Amino acid sequence: MELGPIFRALLRNRSRFWLITLEIALTLAVSVNCFVILQRERDRLLRPSGLDEANQIVVATEPWSEEFADDAFLDLQREEDLRRLRALPGVRAVTAMNQIPISRAGSGTGRKAEGADQSESVFVGYFYVADDALETLGVELREGRGFEPGDFPTREEEDAGDVVRNVLLTADVADRLYPEGALGKVIQNDGGEVSNVVVGVIEQMHNSWPTSTAADRAMLLPGRPGHRTLMRYLIRTEPGQVDPVFSRVEEELLAANTERVVTVQTMTEVKNRTYRVSRAMITVLVGVMILLGIVTGLGIIGLTAFSVTERTRQIGTRRALGAGRFDILRYFLLENWMVTGFGLVLGLGLTFGLNYLLVQAADAPKVGGELVVLVMAGLWLLGQLAALAPALRATRIAPVAATRTI
Amino acid sequence: MLLYQLRMAALSLRRNLVLTLVVVAGVALGVSVATAFVTIDRLISSDPIPHKSDRLRFVRLDSWDPADPFDSDRPDLPPNQLTYQDALAIHGSGIPTYEAAMYKSRLTVHPDNGERPWREVVRLTHGDLFDLFDVPFAFGSRWDAAADGGPEPVVVIDTLINEKLFGGGDSVGREIRIEDRTFVVVGVLDEWRPPIKMYDVNNNPYEEPESIYIPFGFAQPLEATSNGNTNGWRFQDLDGWEEYLAASEDTFIQYWVQLDTQEQVGRFQSYVDGYAEQQKMAGRFPRPLNNLLQPLPDLLLTEEVRPEETRGLAIISILFLVVCSVNLIGVLLGKFLSRAPEAGIRRALGASRRTIFLQHLLECELVAVAGGLLGAGLAVPILRWVEKLFAQGEPLALDTGMLFAGIALALVSGLVAGLYPSWRVCRVAPATYLKLQ
Repeated sequence: MELGPIFRALLRNRSRFWLITLEIALTLAVSVNCFVILQRERDRLLRPSGLDEANQIVVATEPWSEEFADDAFLDLQREEDLRRLRALPGVRAVTAMNQIPISRAGSGTGRKAEGADQSESVFVGYFYVADDALETLGVELREGRGFEPGDFPTREEEDAGDVVRNVLLTADVADRLYPEGALGKVIQNDGGEVSNVVVGVIEQMHNSWPTSTAADRAMLLPGRPGHRTLMRYLIRTEPGQVDPVFSRVEEELLAANTERVVTVQTMTEVKNRTYRVSRAMITVLVGVMILLGIVTGLGIIGLTAFSVTERTRQIGTRRALGAGRFDILRYFLLENWMVTGFGLVLGLGLTFGLNYLLVQAADAPKVGGELVVLVMAGLWLLGQLAALAPALRATRIAPVAATRTI
Repeated sequence: MLLYQLRMAALSLRRNLVLTLVVVAGVALGVSVATAFVTIDRLISSDPIPHKSDRLRFVRLDSWDPADPFDSDRPDLPPNQLTYQDALAIHGSGIPTYEAAMYKSRLTVHPDNGERPWREVVRLTHGDLFDLFDVPFAFGSRWDAAADGGPEPVVVIDTLINEKLFGGGDSVGREIRIEDRTFVVVGVLDEWRPPIKMYDVNNNPYEEPESIYIPFGFAQPLEATSNGNTNGWRFQDLDGWEEYLAASEDTFIQYWVQLDTQEQVGRFQSYVDGYAEQQKMAGRFPRPLNNLLQPLPDLLLTEEVRPEETRGLAIISILFLVVCSVNLIGVLLGKFLSRAPEAGIRRALGASRRTIFLQHLLECELVAVAGGLLGAGLAVPILRWVEKLFAQGEPLALDTGMLFAGIALALVSGLVAGLYPSWRVCRVAPATYLKLQ
């Protein structure tokens, strides 16, 4: 190998060596740090919600008519809305809900095991739902059963107070409250004034705040969702039927009662808005990394090309002394390999330095070893690819160049 | 001399136009990305109202749960909003220069023109809001204190709603139907888009201000439920809106005061502490006495309003500019050294090292200025694009600071990048090159 001579030649032209080294080091530091942030955002985005998001439509109706202040009227209207929506072709199931999962707007409360201390209470996002909720949400039951007509208290029972509602919990909450199995057990709010019986456990489902660490803690309560100023519905369509159903929802609901504002969104839109920052970060970071790759690549091409030009006579001399074209190619690629390698080693320190800064200033995730190795390999490849074109040009220098002046 | 050097530099740049363009594009790329992200970060993290931010105080009363602090990460902080009953009770002390309780609600607006009604986020507030935050008016003015309590059916709208309902212009005196009432327009706001919605940093602090403002006194008669965050800790069996407002421990009201002197701060502090003590006697405020008059900049810190994403992107974009500059060094070095013979001859003919050095540095700066101008221009679309990705709504107002920042960044990077190559070329020994000719 010619590593010795290449190294000594490098030392004679230190500026080029340092420039490529510095560029590679900085590129490593920036791209590794971009990558960790990107990875975190992607993981957030890909976390399963448990819902059949692709086939769901979210409807908000905001009545202004005074009639809706009357509970009996409200109940009748809900029934009619549900009947109409369920009758639309392409609809699989519909329910009414007081809040919409993954929308970032919701209701939260505390629940603890029966008789437990307040400090053992667990935060849950809760949803009042009408019938058909499990089918509409598209979530899986791990154990127990879904809601039956008998689970829904009447208005009279509600008004009398002290209703013990049967509830469904997600496994995340259920296992926290009763590790030995929550089915049939009683849970209470922080102060112990409200009690519920667990009749079913949902495998997994996001509550209203999917980006929080408590995203999978949800509770479904049977009720009469909606009040005077706001009633929400969730529609689940047959696969691929979102668009045709979507276009008919507003018209159908206004036909039932025109005294309200109807807003229709697909669950995909809701999700995109919730994850807006994650999606934006991914786009921007990918953009920055592509630009960085191009700039660094071009820089290496330029510097190598310059060094080839500068050494035309030396290359000619080597060729004249018997070196083949492949030897020349190998020389430049090896040189690039060494310089890149040195840059990467230097970049390691820079990478962790920058990461420390970003963790402090911007709450970035910590850089892990695997990722660094992966990006290092990528940059090594980038360096070799960038050096290839000028190196190939060097192989075309004829031995006669040795005899020419510049 | 400078003119001559400038001519020489321009000549040299023209001789290899493609290379010059590549270099300018490189600088422009680095500068535009860095300028865009640094500008976003600066806009969002800058003091939204620098001339009075320390006199604006956010009132926080600790009415919270005896068992747990409001924020378990910061147990020293009282809740970040007030209950309706407390907001109502502390209003009207006469101590602050201005004071306003406020929250937002979604209410139905019925247009006259036969179009369908829609829901609009409306801010219910005392009229002092407009004085507290120096909100600019295009027509009319704020409502007076008498309208707050009445409450009188008056409304302040922004240009968007003015355009939508009345086609713009001076709409003072015209009427708007909100829910089942008719409100009279008393003021139309001028364009107002603070980078941070400083008076209510709950939910999304980067969204634009509301379009409609009505007196706080309508909270009760309109049954206007909060459209923002409501936090609660206590289970209370309350019947109806009126009872809820009167007795609920839920917090959803933002309360701002302007305290111009230290004396005012002291007096208002003892006023709210006195109120809290009085409530303790009545069985409320079960936690230790802890009431905070938090200055605006401090609130932005504790509520972690500053998005960490923009900070991270700003740092990364600056490093991107550094990489572009390192590239620039490489290109300039190659270019200058390939012209070393020329420098050698000039040296032999009597040019000093300093002259050669300065001339090459000047060439770098010419490139940098061109790149900087182009980059600052490019930064605007990049910034708009990034802004659109991150948030919807009205764009942030840009200032000339951004243009200067772009050019300054370019000049610095041109200087840094040009120093070493210029130094190398001015050190060439004339003899070497004379021999070769």
